[in-house]
Amino acid sequence: MERTSRLIDEKAAAALVQDGMTVYIGGFTLSSHPMAIVREILKRRVKNLTIVGAATASMEVDLMIGAGAVRKVITSYVGIEGHASVGPCFRAGAESGELEVWELDESMYYTALRAGSLEVPFLPDYTALGTDILRFNPDLKRFDCPITGKPLIAVPAVSPDIAFIHGAAADVYGNVRFNGSGFGDRTGARASTKIVAQVDKIISNEDIRMSPHLTSMPNVAHVVRTPFGAHPFASPGSYLQDNPLIGEYVQAAQHYQKTRERARLDDFLRRWVYEPDSHLDYLERVGLKRLLSLNEF
Amino acid sequence: MNDYSLNELIACVLAREVRDGDSLQCGANAVVQRSGFLLGHLDHGPNCRVLIGRTFANLWDVPVLQLYDMNVDWRAARWGEYVIPHDESFSWSSRRQISAFAIGALQTDKRGNTNMLGFGDDPKRLKVRGPGGVGTTPVSARLDRYYIMLRRHDRRALVDQCDFVSGIGFGDGPGAREKLGLPGGGPKLCITPLCVFDFDEATKLMRIKSLHPGVTLQQVLDNTGFAPVVPKDIPTTPAPTERELHILRTRIDPKGVLRKVEAVEA
Repeated sequence: MERTSRLIDEKAAAALVQDGMTVYIGGFTLSSHPMAIVREILKRRVKNLTIVGAATASMEVDLMIGAGAVRKVITSYVGIEGHASVGPCFRAGAESGELEVWELDESMYYTALRAGSLEVPFLPDYTALGTDILRFNPDLKRFDCPITGKPLIAVPAVSPDIAFIHGAAADVYGNVRFNGSGFGDRTGARASTKIVAQVDKIISNEDIRMSPHLTSMPNVAHVVRTPFGAHPFASPGSYLQDNPLIGEYVQAAQHYQKTRERARLDDFLRRWVYEPDSHLDYLERVGLKRLLSLNEF
Repeated sequence: MNDYSLNELIACVLAREVRDGDSLQCGANAVVQRSGFLLGHLDHGPNCRVLIGRTFANLWDVPVLQLYDMNVDWRAARWGEYVIPHDESFSWSSRRQISAFAIGALQTDKRGNTNMLGFGDDPKRLKVRGPGGVGTTPVSARLDRYYIMLRRHDRRALVDQCDFVSGIGFGDGPGAREKLGLPGGGPKLCITPLCVFDFDEATKLMRIKSLHPGVTLQQVLDNTGFAPVVPKDIPTTPAPTERELHILRTRIDPKGVLRKVEAVEA
């Protein structure tokens, strides 16, 4: 008998997602989104997903909305720093009512995921007292504290079926290392039934054992090797974000948001999501010079 | 006389609010706020700490910074003394963690209640979907001290009543925060392209604290959708000093981002 490797490819990772699932997509603003897997999920044309984005989600969630995969979004923000303070497809969906937005502020976002990871039905918070956030999200319940009598908000647990995160490195047994902070991914992952990590590189188990304090997430269910896997986003210490490609998306998505004409957005999706057969085909389309110009420092 | 931009002036207003030892943070898309806090730190705050690149850092002896575009730019983490994951920011009291924060807003009302949710009547059918409360909501509820930074000063931004409220200022008046049991101290100043407002202690109404150089009282009143408290004597916002401009232009903003017509903000 042997210890089993958890290494799979990005297509197998994406195949874990079924219509209607609740999916956590990791990363933060312009960094560390599991894009190789996100593109494969979109290629499978899954529908009616509830996407739990990062507390500060970005183009990765906006793209999924634009591709028609998302029924409901749970996050405190979808915006593309430096390009668009509100994600264009998120904005279009919210204004038309086609996209259900489960409104949260940053604090209650983590409270909800923490309730999920602790497997309690809710946790209390209070930051939205006196605001209209309670009106935007009637699932948030105001109540009086049974101990002090003070007003509180019961924030229902958010428990994703599956979490996809991007890390710097992992071994084949699912021990993942983040370079830097890991943003909110520990909380998002711990609330989820299954965790899948895509990483820029695979390292040996011996390497993990030499420095276990550097392991950010232990024994995730599956690991996918995806060099430049966060592209067009940054991966701390490995590569910076590809601003022109993000800009290209924003132009196409903003055109859709302003006119409701899909042609440019569909062109972007065709070129950068649907046509490349695999992650390496995608990278080949991006081009070696372009990728290697995304200096890590 | 110094030649300076409006963004530089506003950065100086915020910088002068910084006390030595403060722990300072501001959100994403916030170049002017970040410049202001950094200026305060480098000018007179050797014991301050700032949140930069998802680290806590002290930049007192760092010769030249740069206004990194990204909130999370890994290159900005090189001076960090502690890496703070985003979720960890919300697992201990932000009131203990952060002394002062600068927030933006689409709208603010006369008591500093702010709106980042959007415009319209129906939450399900907004005319304009805004960014959402995001970090402004917990900051408004919890912090001892925070600053409202407006990019526009007109009757759409300063309103008698916001379309929606996402950040509680002083609610509907004195006692409102206390009734909700909120621990924070509320907004301290509202800084706009025309003037600086503070809050009347008794009524919690916005009060004109200073007019920026070249701006008249009438201009402010014409462009404000409520009647602010108007003191008898209104000073002029002090212009940036040579020292402040020197630090700003050589150590914080060597590329002159603050001197471009519009700051880098979406």
